[in-house]
Amino acid sequence: MIAIEVKNLYFAYSAEEYVLKNINLIVNEGERVAIIGENGAGKTTLIKHFNGLLKPTKGYVKILGKDTRRHSVAELSRHVGIVFQNPEHQFFAETVEKEVAFALENFGYPKDEIEKRVNYILKYFDLQKYRDKSPFNLSEGEKKRLAIASILVYDPEILVLDEPTTGQDAIQKRKIAEIIKRLSEKGRTIIVVTHDIEFVVELFDRVIVMAEGRIIADGPTREVITNYEIIKRARLLPPQINICARLLEDLGIPSNIITVSELVEEITKVYER
Amino acid sequence: MSVRIDLFKGFQFKYRETIVHKLDPRTKGLYVIICTIIALMYTSPIPILLTFITSIILVLLSRVTKEWIGTMKSIALLSIFIFIVNYFTAPYEKLNFAVTMTLRLLTLTSTFSVFFLTTSPEDFSLALLKLGVPYEYTLIFNMAIRFVPTLARDLQTVIDAQKSRGLELEKGNIMQRIRRMIPILVPLLVFEIKRSIMIAEALEARAFGALKNRTYYYEIRMKKIDWILSVIMVLTFVILIVLQLMNILPEWFYWRIPM
Amino acid sequence: MEKIVEINNVTFYYEGSDTPAISSINLSINRGEFVLITGPSGCGKSTLCRLLNGLIPHFYSGKLIGEVIVKGYNTKETPTHILARHVGMVFQNPENQLFLSSVEKEIIFGLENLGLPREEIKRRLNEVIELFHLENIINKAPYELSGGEQQKVAIAAVVAMKPEILVLDEPTSNLDPLSAQEILSLVKELNREMQMTIIIVEHRLDLLCKHVNRIIVMNKGKIIYNGTPNDLFNQYNLEKLGINIPKVIEAYLRLKKRKILQNNEIPLSPEDFAKLVKREFYRVR
Repeated sequence: MIAIEVKNLYFAYSAEEYVLKNINLIVNEGERVAIIGENGAGKTTLIKHFNGLLKPTKGYVKILGKDTRRHSVAELSRHVGIVFQNPEHQFFAETVEKEVAFALENFGYPKDEIEKRVNYILKYFDLQKYRDKSPFNLSEGEKKRLAIASILVYDPEILVLDEPTTGQDAIQKRKIAEIIKRLSEKGRTIIVVTHDIEFVVELFDRVIVMAEGRIIADGPTREVITNYEIIKRARLLPPQINICARLLEDLGIPSNIITVSELVEEITKVYER
Repeated sequence: MSVRIDLFKGFQFKYRETIVHKLDPRTKGLYVIICTIIALMYTSPIPILLTFITSIILVLLSRVTKEWIGTMKSIALLSIFIFIVNYFTAPYEKLNFAVTMTLRLLTLTSTFSVFFLTTSPEDFSLALLKLGVPYEYTLIFNMAIRFVPTLARDLQTVIDAQKSRGLELEKGNIMQRIRRMIPILVPLLVFEIKRSIMIAEALEARAFGALKNRTYYYEIRMKKIDWILSVIMVLTFVILIVLQLMNILPEWFYWRIPM
Repeated sequence: MEKIVEINNVTFYYEGSDTPAISSINLSINRGEFVLITGPSGCGKSTLCRLLNGLIPHFYSGKLIGEVIVKGYNTKETPTHILARHVGMVFQNPENQLFLSSVEKEIIFGLENLGLPREEIKRRLNEVIELFHLENIINKAPYELSGGEQQKVAIAAVVAMKPEILVLDEPTSNLDPLSAQEILSLVKELNREMQMTIIIVEHRLDLLCKHVNRIIVMNKGKIIYNGTPNDLFNQYNLEKLGINIPKVIEAYLRLKKRKILQNNEIPLSPEDFAKLVKREFYRVR
C-alpha cells in the first residue's frame, strides 16, 4: 500500500516565490528513504506537509490515502510521527515519564494503555533509570533518544526524522541507526532528512535529492550518490570511499563503489590478480 | 491575526532615501515630544487635528504611506471603541470629548509611527547614547530588535513540534486553552534562556565591557537642517504657548463641537 | 617552539556538581600548532575550550584546581576581556554570535570594545573583508545569510581582533557538508598563512585529520590520547574511543589486516589512499 503520495505539490508561505516546486513522490509502506540536500532546499518544508502542519498551495499530499487538506494535524500525526531536529524545542514536562506520555494523552489513550506503552518505550530506549528525572538533565544523546521515544510511544506507521545525526558523536549515531533498522524490520515506513552522506550510505537503499525547492533525483542510493553533478547541486560531498574508487579507476576498481567493504573486496581482487 | 501584524509593520523601520529619513533622530524625537504635549494639552479638536495633519504631511514626504495606513487601519477598531466609551462617560460636551479623545489616540499613534518608520534602530540607539543612556542599554535594545524574528521562528518551531504530538491549541474552553500553552511556553522559555547564555559567552569572547571608554565607530551628527527645523519647532511651540497665555489666539482655534 | 598554552593538572567542577567535568588535564600547545580535540558527547571538550579564554572560571563559576597559562597569563587571575585579545573563540551556533544588524557592524563591534582608534578599526575591517571575501555581504543582516556565511562572519569578527590563538567549538555542527568544508579550509588557511594557533573541537574527522598536527581524544573528562593522527589510527583500539573514524582509514586498516597494504604513514585522505594503493600495486607488479 502507498504510505505517502505527493502530487504536483507547490508551496509558498506568502505571495512571494514558491518554496516547493512541482514535487512528485510516492513512498510505499515499509520503505526506508533518505531525503538529502543543502540547508534551505526545502526538505523540512516538505516533511511538514506529511502531517498537515503545512497544507499545499497547489497539488495534494495523501497519507495512507487521506488527503492532508481534509484532516487536522492531530489526526494525521497519529499516523505520521515527526521528530524534529532539536529535542530542546519540545521538552516541557517535569519528568521523562510525563514527557513520553504527552502524545498519548493528547490522542486520548486510556490510562492503563498509557502506562503500558510508557513502560515499554522507556525500556526499549534504555531510559527507565531517568523515569522521574527532568528531561533537561539528560545528556545530549539521551535527549535525542527521549525525543524519538516520545513519538514512537504511540507507534505511528510512518516515522520521519529531521536531521537525527547532526551534532551527534559516533556512539549516538550507531544507536540511532539501530533504532531505524529495528523499526524497518517491524514494517514501519521511515523517512530521514539528513546531509550526512555516510549515514545515508549505511542505511538507505533509496535517496531523494532536493535543491532549490525541487526534487532533482530520486532513486537507488548507489546511482544517485555517485552522480557528482547531482551531489554538487545539492551542496553535499560524495562519500569518501567513492572518491577513492574514482581515483583508482585505472586499476580496474568500479567507479560506483560506496561502502568500505566493497572497496576492500575490490582492491583485494586486484591484488590477487 | 492580521491586525497584529499590520500594527507592528507601521512601527518597523523602512529604508528610504527621503529628507525625513535623513534627519537626525533627535530632531524627529523633538517633533514627537512637541506633538505629544500639544495633543495632551488641548481639550478641543482643532489643535490636535492640525498636529495630526503635520504627521500626515511627514508620512507623504517620507513615502511610507502604505505602512502607515496599515497601522492606522489596525487601530480603527480601538478608535471606535474609545469614541463610544468616552461619548457615554463624558459628564458634558459628549461629542466634543469623544472626538478629542479619539483624535488624541490617532495623533499619538501617527506621530510615533512616523518616527519609527523613518528612524533605524541603530540611529535611534545612537541618539539615546548621545543623550546619555549607557551603552549596555542601547546594545540590549539593538539585540532585542535583531532577535525578534529569531524568537518568532523558534516559537513556530515549538508549536510545530507540539502539534505533531497531537496538541490541539484551538480546542477547549478558556481554562483548557491556557493550560495548553504550557507545552509551548516552557520549551520556548528554556530554549531562549539557553540562547541568551550562549550569546553572553560570545559577547565575552568579543571583549564586551573591556573598557569604560570604548570607541564608537558610528556617529550621528546634527546637520544644518536639523538645527533649523528644531529651532523652528521650538519657536512655534513657544509662540503658541505665549499666545495662549496672552489669550490672543483666534476663536476658531478653541472651537468645541456643540452638544 | 614556544609554548603558548599550558594546562597543568587541571580539574574543574561546575557549580553544584559532585563529579568533575574534566580531571587531571595536562596539556601544552605550541605556537602555530593546529590541534583537534574530539571525543564522545559529554567528554569535556567544550569545558576544556572554555578554560582557554577565561570563561572558566570567570563566567562559569565552580571549582578550578590547577593552572591554565595562556600566553603567559594565568587565567584565574586575568579577566576575560584581556584574554579575549589573545584568544578568539568561535562557537557552534552562528546565530548566537551575531548580535547586530549588519555584517559590517558585527566585525566592528569587537574592535570598538577594544578601544581601538577609528582609523585602525577601518583598516582591520577592510583587511578582514578582503581575507574572507565578504564584499558581497558586508551590508546584509544576519538573517539574510546562509549558515555557512554566518559562521564565516563570526570567524571574521573574531579574527579582526587579531588573537594569536583561535579556539573553535564544533563550528560546523549546524552546517551542510560543503559549507563545513569551506569553513575548515578557511581555518586551515588562517593557520598556514597567518600562523595562528588553532584549537578546534570537531566530530568531522574526515575533513580535518589530514591538516592537523595533533589530535587529542577525550573521554569522561580525561585526555585518553594526545599525539599525531598517524599514531592515533595506527595504535589504538579505535572502536572504544567513540570517535568518527574516517572511512578511508577504515578501509586502509582492513586492507592492512589482510596484509595487502603496509605503510608507516596512514593515508588520511582519499588522495593519499589512492596514491598508496597505486604505489603498492606497481611495486607488487
